[in-house]
Amino acid sequence: MSHAQTPHAGRSHPDTTHAQTPDGQAPGSETPGIQMPDVQAPGTSGVGDRIDVGLQRILRRETRSSRAGIAGLAAALVIAACIYALLESALRAIGQPPWLIDPQTAAERLTALPGGISPLLLGALGGVVAMVGLIFFLNAVLPGRKSRHLLEDPRAGVVVDDEVIASALARAARAAANVTQEQVMVVVSQRLVVVNVRPTSGVPLHEERILAGVEDELQRMAPSPMPSVRVNVATSGVIGA
Amino acid sequence: MNGTPHVLNRILIGILGLILLAIGFLLMLLATVPAVGSWWQSWSTGLWEHAKYLSEQTRIPGRQESWLWVAAAAVLVVLIVLMVSWVSQQGKGRANLIVSEYDDARTPGDVNIGGNLAEQALKAALAERTDLAGVMVATYEVNGRPGLRIRVQPRQGVSPHTLAADVSRLVEALDIVVGRKTPVLIHIGAGARTRFSKAERVR
Repeated sequence: MSHAQTPHAGRSHPDTTHAQTPDGQAPGSETPGIQMPDVQAPGTSGVGDRIDVGLQRILRRETRSSRAGIAGLAAALVIAACIYALLESALRAIGQPPWLIDPQTAAERLTALPGGISPLLLGALGGVVAMVGLIFFLNAVLPGRKSRHLLEDPRAGVVVDDEVIASALARAARAAANVTQEQVMVVVSQRLVVVNVRPTSGVPLHEERILAGVEDELQRMAPSPMPSVRVNVATSGVIGA
Repeated sequence: MNGTPHVLNRILIGILGLILLAIGFLLMLLATVPAVGSWWQSWSTGLWEHAKYLSEQTRIPGRQESWLWVAAAAVLVVLIVLMVSWVSQQGKGRANLIVSEYDDARTPGDVNIGGNLAEQALKAALAERTDLAGVMVATYEVNGRPGLRIRVQPRQGVSPHTLAADVSRLVEALDIVVGRKTPVLIHIGAGARTRFSKAERVR
């Protein structure tokens, strides 16, 4: 069993290091016609740089949350409030009875506020509104980093979900420890990889060997930012694995 | 990779959050602190009287209602339109062509190559791999230029760097076929299909 329990948008990792983009990009050739992509035509490095700049921007955006969902929610909230206000004022303008409350009565009730409503209800209402506001505000202010790492590649920008890294490292740990899939659990976060291994009862585990196997896989993968590895071997073993 | 306005989203969500926070705290203070209650009553009554005075002054000639109501309604409609246009900005930026050129020196006429070409070619090239649970290719407009987004979902245990190198080689082959280098993003991701599929043991 290998899965990445990555913290929500790096919220438990307040480090502000920016995800680095691979800087070994080969400048692209932009001359028309068929040719090898690695051959750089003279005088076109500006175009290659432009691709590079565009790609770095893409990678920076890909590792951050776009907040599209919560933006839609916020817009829906504002639209609903506007439509209700429009409805009530239109009803008043054409002289019809109000649907829920007419604007003038609403304003008069608001000005009389601590009176006319139980303080408990008022306080609870305020708490709920403040909580919703806090959720929106934190969503806007926190970095909103996605649980992803970047890989270096000469041609393309590569982003990898932490879950994929975790399952690859779990396979490496499994091979190094010679245990089954269910005995290994790997948690990958921005700067730390935790490998939890439950040994088979009676079979000693070599922690260094697991660490070396995972580190070797991680070195070959070379994600940025590079996380450090910690191996936890459980004290209780598994029987019959 | 799409054109979702990240900064605008943050600003508008932050503003809405601050407004809601302020209202919530005001309500809680009104419920708990009596001094705030008396201040609020005098302040808001003054404001309400002023508003009533204004609406008396701005009456439409020959009618009871003030034109302030019409103005308020117009502001609300504008706000709704702005919100709808904000929502429509999310996730935009899909493109259809990966190459669109006009160069009479080499070939007479326009050269347009659709994004479907890259999609079909890459999907066909990756179709035989058993270590992949899914491949998605889409064309997006990035800074006014087309870019390719390749999303692959490997099964559990596949090394992402070897997979990235393989896909990158395919992209280089595509460069030769198309004759242009476009920005390419390879996203190696996990989804429900990879989570519940069995691990890849043999490659």
